[in-house]
Amino acid sequence: MASVNSSEWRAICDKFTNAQNLTDVESRNDPENDPFRSKYKARELLREIYCSLKSFEAGEGEEESGGESSERPVEDPPESGQGEDGLDQAFSRDSPGGLRAAKLGAVEYYLGVNHIDTEELPAGQEHLMNCMKLLERCRVSSDSVSLFIHVRNQLGILWAGRDETEMAQGFLETAESVYQRYMKEDGTPPTDMTEYFTTEEKLLTHQERTKRFELAYTHTKYYLAQVYKNLGQTERAATYCHSTLQRQLQLNQFSPMEWALNAATLSQYYINKGRYMEGRHCLSAATVISGLAGEAPSEAAAEESETERDRRETLRQKRAEIARCWIKYCLNLLHDAKKLLEDNIGELDTDRQEELKRARRGEEEEEEKERKSALLFGSEDTFDSIASLEEKVSSLFPLDFTEARAVFLVGQNYVTQAKDYFLMDGYVTDHIEILQDHSSLFRGLAFFEEDLERRCKMHKRRVDMLEPICNELNAKYYLMIRRQLMFELAEIYNEMMDLKLTLANRQADTQSLDNHTIKKFNHLCSASAKYFQMFLDSLCSPEGKYPEHLEEEVLRPALVARFRVARLYSRLISSEPSVQLENLNKSLENYKYVVQYCEGHPEAVATVNTELELSSEMVGLLPLKINRLKARMALNN
Amino acid sequence: MRKKYYNMVEDMKKIRVFCRIRPVSRTEVAQDQDEAIVVKKIDDFSVTVETSRGQREFQFDKVFSAAASQEDLFHDTHLIQSALDGYNVCIFAYGQTGSGKTFTMVGDKEQKNLGIMPRSFNAIFDFIQENSSKFDFKVSAYMLELYNDRLQDLFVSPAGEAHAQAQSHGQARRVEIKRNKKGVVFAQGAETKEASSTQELYALFQQACANRHISATMNLESSRSHLIVGIMVESRNLTNGSVSTGKLSLVDLAGSERAAKTGAKDHQLKSLQEANSINKSLSALGDVISALSAELPHVPYRNSKLTQYATRVKAITNNAQRNVDSKEIAQLKEVIMKLRSGQTVEEDDD
Repeated sequence: MASVNSSEWRAICDKFTNAQNLTDVESRNDPENDPFRSKYKARELLREIYCSLKSFEAGEGEEESGGESSERPVEDPPESGQGEDGLDQAFSRDSPGGLRAAKLGAVEYYLGVNHIDTEELPAGQEHLMNCMKLLERCRVSSDSVSLFIHVRNQLGILWAGRDETEMAQGFLETAESVYQRYMKEDGTPPTDMTEYFTTEEKLLTHQERTKRFELAYTHTKYYLAQVYKNLGQTERAATYCHSTLQRQLQLNQFSPMEWALNAATLSQYYINKGRYMEGRHCLSAATVISGLAGEAPSEAAAEESETERDRRETLRQKRAEIARCWIKYCLNLLHDAKKLLEDNIGELDTDRQEELKRARRGEEEEEEKERKSALLFGSEDTFDSIASLEEKVSSLFPLDFTEARAVFLVGQNYVTQAKDYFLMDGYVTDHIEILQDHSSLFRGLAFFEEDLERRCKMHKRRVDMLEPICNELNAKYYLMIRRQLMFELAEIYNEMMDLKLTLANRQADTQSLDNHTIKKFNHLCSASAKYFQMFLDSLCSPEGKYPEHLEEEVLRPALVARFRVARLYSRLISSEPSVQLENLNKSLENYKYVVQYCEGHPEAVATVNTELELSSEMVGLLPLKINRLKARMALNN
Repeated sequence: MRKKYYNMVEDMKKIRVFCRIRPVSRTEVAQDQDEAIVVKKIDDFSVTVETSRGQREFQFDKVFSAAASQEDLFHDTHLIQSALDGYNVCIFAYGQTGSGKTFTMVGDKEQKNLGIMPRSFNAIFDFIQENSSKFDFKVSAYMLELYNDRLQDLFVSPAGEAHAQAQSHGQARRVEIKRNKKGVVFAQGAETKEASSTQELYALFQQACANRHISATMNLESSRSHLIVGIMVESRNLTNGSVSTGKLSLVDLAGSERAAKTGAKDHQLKSLQEANSINKSLSALGDVISALSAELPHVPYRNSKLTQYATRVKAITNNAQRNVDSKEIAQLKEVIMKLRSGQTVEEDDD
């Protein structure tokens, strides 16, 4: 810009700085009833800048065509024409024409954003499109690439706001590929947009330029994540969220606790999809980065100052939340392993176990390593800590008790951590959820335990944990939770009952059981039936009437509960015929309910097909057994 | 910005909501005679609607049944008078495509059942004639179409617009909403045309309609754009010379069914605007991640909109119940087999 009067140029630069100031700083002070005052002022300044530039251009144009043609760089004829994005044009060193176009483009860009901020979208769009067109004239170079990316980011946002997701996608993907190409082929820290109108002294350092440029690209990735999510491509969206997180760490542009929670949430997505390696990495990173936020203030400090109190609260709570995410990791890992290993009645299939163990030995390690390196979080300082945390828990499915126990212990450790914050007194729902998770951890582990006695003990731990709570909770306010607990307790007791029986049968040579065992068995059997019954009773109206029609959420559980109660009653052991009779009658009653309900509500049949089938059979067979018993009783009298 | 004004208007309580029920269409009757009518007027202020979750009742400031005529409807909207008195009045028609908005606001093509707009034009000029001895009147109008956030002046034909654009190179006349010194909202850049009779005004209206974007959605009369008709009536008191300006805005909104298209559920507070829009700030990354799946094992956020409104239906039964079931079922099957075969045997089993 040799021909430009330097004082004129300085005036433009000042105007620009003013406009920036008005937009970013002053606008925050604008009054409620005139919220865009500063932005309108900024707009005027920008327009003036635009006009000045245009008039320079007119002047320069004459000069250039006069004496400076030799200075123009050699131009390759555009190959595929002036494409939308200028992708196919070769990069070149900055040409004066290019720089001029970029400057005009920058003003159009700022005008565009200005209009968008003042909710004048059509105008905003027009300016942004003008900016794009101006940039097409020059090649993508370090002078213009930053603006190139920014304008497309803005257009992406604009079109997404109009529900035109594919349009948004187009702009953003272009930005993405231009960035990638630029970094591959050039890579020099590009001019930041604010630099178009600064004087020499105020130019940014290379470091700063890179930082801003990279931040723009991070936003591109972030916006693309949202676009893919809106298009239903959740897999891709997750990958882009992952990249966004990665970049935030690399560029050191993050707030620790916020980043940690986001990573923890992403881990939950991965866990849902069974991708435990990625999930573990996210969680490990979350834990490490959350540590960067520093120690939580002590209780003493919290007493003294409110800020300290809030800070302590927040830090402790968020870390406890991360612990809960870890619990889910361990839980799901155990249960997914179980699903792989179980046979058709839910016991560990040793053949499958062998098979999977063999397969694991042969697994490709290299492939894993490569996949992993693509997703690594962290920076120089944190890589190690994250890796060492990962080593503490496996991401592979546990295939035997030892491996399962290792996972269990990690989970249990996090249970303790989480409960430390989510005390029952103050966080009832959260506390109970954690207990339920703990119970599930035990259930997961029990599957792998070969010793039946020990297995039984694990179930007993579950009962001890959940039973008191179930009975303590207010029936009215915690209905849903209580129902869950009742059902779980019923099943645990059922499980324990079966285990006791198996154990007893193994020991005794003869078929008969000793009194002690019978008593124990009956106790467990009744307890199971009791809880199923409690669940059923919870469905009644305040007057104690069963609902005529079962709601969708409770339909299957209610019918299954009936079915199980029926079965349990028929299993109670008694030497007293009258007691036997009573039990059989109760059993029949419940089987009948299932059959009758399904007759009256055909839509229910599909939810309990098998149970219904068996109930019908029993309704046919039990009366015969009952009659035989009655006959025997009559005989004996 | 918009929300702020919405709240202001709400607070002033000068909004009245009327409900008009349209008659059953022939296709609907053909489809299901009995189930065709789902909306019933209970009284002048309430209706019941048959929904998939049972009957729901809604309250309005006034309810018009399917039998109500265009005349009835217009008669009850006393707003024209207010506009003539110098107030700003606005009438919106809101509803799904096919619900009858255009019929209510404009009328039918054959002009046998005039809607609110043409009737307003009549009313205005009738009033003017009646009071021509006391007041001097000036009537002008602008007519706009709002499509994709863009305001289109309907007095300019598409061909004319293109020509204008080509000439001024990027400085095409844009219509923007602004507020003037007096605080009145107006459309800057929109052409206002004067009219001195009902016929003239109606002719302007017809010209505007011809210039509208119409994209066929569910029926030919509907469109994806909003129609905004603004009529300014300036009256000068011949006695003391005072001038007052009233404005009547008549808006026929685009079909609201687009909300259903985005799949926004009732309990999610996402407006159509926000459904697929991009959040600019990286601080919302957490929300984006949480929304990747509806069934995250744990969402570590408190008070997040998503956790508040997400229907995390927690199953009553355990996931593993299936296995316990299968064991129970296998056992029972065995028992049944025994019972069957054991019918001839005396001994009890199990």
